[in-house]
Amino acid sequence: MNMMSATECLLQMCDEHFELEDYQSGVPRWCTGCGDNAILAAVQRLCRDEGLRPEKTVFVSGIGCSSRFPHYMKTYGFHGIHGRALPVAEGVKMARPDLTVFVNTGDGDCCSIGAAHWIHAIRYNMNITVFLHDNQIYGLTKKQASPTSPIGTKSNTTPRGSYLEALNPLSVTLGVQNVSFVAQAVDWAPEILFDIVKAAYHHKGLSFVRIVQRCPEWLPKMLDPWLHDPNKVQLLHHENGLQVSAGMGRVYKNQLQHDPLDIDRAREIASSHETIPVGILYRNPEVPCYEDLRRPDTLRTPELTRAGFNRELDKYTVWPQDAKAKAA
Amino acid sequence: MDRDMEADTQSHVAFFLTGRRQPEHLDAVDGLDLRPALFAGYRELSQLRYDFPVVLVPGRADSQSVQSLSGLIDGALATAARGSDAERIRKHVLALEQEVRALAEGGAGGTLAALWNAAASRLAKDADPSLADSFKRARAAIKVDGEVAICDAALPARLLRHAWSAVQKQKAERFRKDLDRLVQKLSDILKADFARSEAGRSPAHLQESVGTGYGGSFDFDALSHLLATALPKDTFPESRRQRIRELLAVLHAQQFFPPATAPAALAGAPAPYSFEFESCAEALAAFRERSPRLIELARAIAIAQLEIDGQYNEARHDALFEQFGANGLDPQDLEPFPDYLVCLNAAKMHAEEHAQLMEILSSGLQIKVLLQIDDILEDAAAGAGNLSAGLRSRQVANMAIGLNEAYVLQSSSSNLFRFRERIVRGLTFGGPALFSVYSGANGAASGLPPYLVSAAAMESRAFPAFTYDPSAGANWAARFYLEGNSQVDLDWPIQGFAYEDEQHQRVSEDLAFTLVDFVASDRRYARHLARVPREKWNGSMIAVDESLSRERKGLPDKVPSVLMVDADNVLQRVIVDERLIREARRCREMWHSLQELGGVHNSHAEKLLAREKKAWEERMQKEAEAQPAAVPAATPAAAATAVAASAAAEPEAEHSPDEAWIDTPRCSTCNECTQLNGKMFAYNGNMQAYIADINAGTYAQLVEAAENCQVAIIHPGKPRNPNEPGIDALLKRAEAFI
Repeated sequence: MNMMSATECLLQMCDEHFELEDYQSGVPRWCTGCGDNAILAAVQRLCRDEGLRPEKTVFVSGIGCSSRFPHYMKTYGFHGIHGRALPVAEGVKMARPDLTVFVNTGDGDCCSIGAAHWIHAIRYNMNITVFLHDNQIYGLTKKQASPTSPIGTKSNTTPRGSYLEALNPLSVTLGVQNVSFVAQAVDWAPEILFDIVKAAYHHKGLSFVRIVQRCPEWLPKMLDPWLHDPNKVQLLHHENGLQVSAGMGRVYKNQLQHDPLDIDRAREIASSHETIPVGILYRNPEVPCYEDLRRPDTLRTPELTRAGFNRELDKYTVWPQDAKAKAA
Repeated sequence: MDRDMEADTQSHVAFFLTGRRQPEHLDAVDGLDLRPALFAGYRELSQLRYDFPVVLVPGRADSQSVQSLSGLIDGALATAARGSDAERIRKHVLALEQEVRALAEGGAGGTLAALWNAAASRLAKDADPSLADSFKRARAAIKVDGEVAICDAALPARLLRHAWSAVQKQKAERFRKDLDRLVQKLSDILKADFARSEAGRSPAHLQESVGTGYGGSFDFDALSHLLATALPKDTFPESRRQRIRELLAVLHAQQFFPPATAPAALAGAPAPYSFEFESCAEALAAFRERSPRLIELARAIAIAQLEIDGQYNEARHDALFEQFGANGLDPQDLEPFPDYLVCLNAAKMHAEEHAQLMEILSSGLQIKVLLQIDDILEDAAAGAGNLSAGLRSRQVANMAIGLNEAYVLQSSSSNLFRFRERIVRGLTFGGPALFSVYSGANGAASGLPPYLVSAAAMESRAFPAFTYDPSAGANWAARFYLEGNSQVDLDWPIQGFAYEDEQHQRVSEDLAFTLVDFVASDRRYARHLARVPREKWNGSMIAVDESLSRERKGLPDKVPSVLMVDADNVLQRVIVDERLIREARRCREMWHSLQELGGVHNSHAEKLLAREKKAWEERMQKEAEAQPAAVPAATPAAAATAVAASAAAEPEAEHSPDEAWIDTPRCSTCNECTQLNGKMFAYNGNMQAYIADINAGTYAQLVEAAENCQVAIIHPGKPRNPNEPGIDALLKRAEAFI
């Protein structure tokens, strides 16, 4: 039984209420038809519904189409350097655990140049929400193959088609120690996308959401088979996972009951090629967060900090001869 | 039946009915030093391994705060007694345990370490060199230490104070941490404010902040000028500054928890309040007196939190906090503050105190009350041998559970170790708690050790153990716990008893331990008992539990009796008068009530079960009779119902093929349609498209939007203007989306 106290109730009455416009900043420069728009709409809706205070919310990104995301949120944002969105976000969370931290990263930003940070961010399991905008191509630099481009993808860097099998971000994430939340969404099912974004936000720990998104400019037909055949999208549902609405159930009839606590089954599902699994693959709220493990027991007062500095600096202090003699 | 036997039976029956003993047939039990037969094996408790003594481990606010000596020794032996020395270590350490127990029960107080050393030196006199090694190895395996407590009159208060102190210490640490954080953050706000002020930017202050070492290396005038021009000009309202200073003053002056240990904080800090009391009246008076300070502090904490988050808005919050706590604080708000502890003894409680106790238990305040009862068999003023006087104390816990809001624990002292987790739960419960404990230390009334008396009270259902935890769930099944008692589904617990008869043959039988067995050990009730000389034993004597289950009509032909043993462990049979049987019957009825609350033989459940069973049998009977005709007919009907139910579960909005519409929930916000015609297509509150004005565009735009839509959710319907140019081609293109 977790009841709110009278004081909490009264204070909530005084809370500010936010509208969608309170989170909207500028007109997105993404191409018309880009899946990033759907992700932006879902995230802004989440902020409004959860009443996230803009001055307590941070979006951190790296480089790429998706990484323009913080520009379109009227919150704090950090449009960082390529592949380093996750360490920046972790630093923000470590220094300011009271902030809600989101990361928007693309398939190049996360799975290529930022792959090392990605692995370790999963392992550290800090309480941040990560959206991997996976359009399977470098779009901002006009079509180069990314690590998640399917084999045979023709691009400026692979004019005869890419030679390697695509990297699977889900199975990679599920293979890392301390993984605590992995989900997959598609941008063309916005209701489910919103439900997953919401579940990810509520999870305490690093929530990794891969969002399969269309790139209408450079790979306009790439996802058509899945887009036009709902049976190629497999909805994962469970009483402890995603609940499928009647409307979505009518469109997406290919459904699978999957317990998000079952990591072995999650790995199997993540590896499927024929269908795109959509839903929560894995969720374990018991995995500890790094910031909680490292939180100091004592309050860092100025006196404590000063004493610590003095102690360290004293190690390198060259004392005058007479002082040394006196001390002896 | 011969004449003598008939006379004996008649005298037994007469005693049963009147309590009047005929000396030629029956002996008085006074001076015989009898005790219930089941106690025969418990003459010397220090020779036995049981839950006591216990070690009160400091600094723990969980089940590990109280540990049994036997448990600690067992744990140590599991670690230390291994290999070829195992048997030797085991033997030595068990002897040491016995010595520690004897010392503790002999009145030697102190910590486990002290008693361990004392016992070790006593045993070392035997000069076995391996003793020291055994003790050293076992001691190294015991990682805890603490005061050793035996099961005596002081135990309930001692144990509860110990657990309460640990819980309060933990609470204080948590509170202190929060308070220190608030103080630091508020001070930081004031410091930042000062740094941005004219005084803070002055060259003199800037120089001070750099220190003496490199003071000459800076141009502080230039620095001050730079800061004056570069820093934002928005000012910090004086009202906020004042508010933060007031908050800091309240937080510093609080007396609910001890101040921080830093010497600077200690200087001039007011003395913290005490929360331990000897009476309910004192505790309530203290609570009322401190209430304004409590509300002030709670208010300051709430405002400080808002200030730190930058959320305090005078227009919104000033009025709210002006009335803060006008109706007192609710239990959730009170939770972080210390709990009061009141230790009462039922013998010293008068009616007014009793009323105050009930007020506390119904108040929702965090006051924990220990009601220690030393005697539940005290004589009533109304009449000798009447047990009802002790009943009042016994029934306080039963009354308290009726209040529904208080945590209630009833237990004998002997069971407190087993209930240690429940004690901690009561102490951490966010409301009032009553711990009603029977110590068994009723002086010379029985001559038995308190542990045995209190265990017997619980075993005989005279003082059953239970807990009622309102935080455990919404119903009785979750809240009420009765399983701490032995053989909870029986009226009286049954124990096996073996003895040697006159022919030196082993005889075994099952004995029920009833209220009469418990009362029989109390000398004050000797007049209700009479020993039957062995030569006069006959078939007219039956066990008390059997007697209670019999329905008596007319003159009794059987007399209830209990088996007892004398100081030489010789078996005696003692008959009982009706007064005690009446009490035993009442005790059993009370036990039945508790059983019902605990879901054992619940009459409502049994009645419902019987009704359902009967209904089920009737239904089965009818189905069996109607089966040949019903089976084929039922299938289509059932199928129709299933289809109807399924259709009802998923209503689908119908759209005419002529109507233009968008499946809005599936819109992926891709901007295709809104960029085509921002008046015809618009986004709703969730940024998903809908047709805002069908007349704001052409049919051609509708068709184009449908074709461009990434998720194919735009349905153009039929054109409103049949004369639109190229309509035939448009209709053909639209077919795919209708």
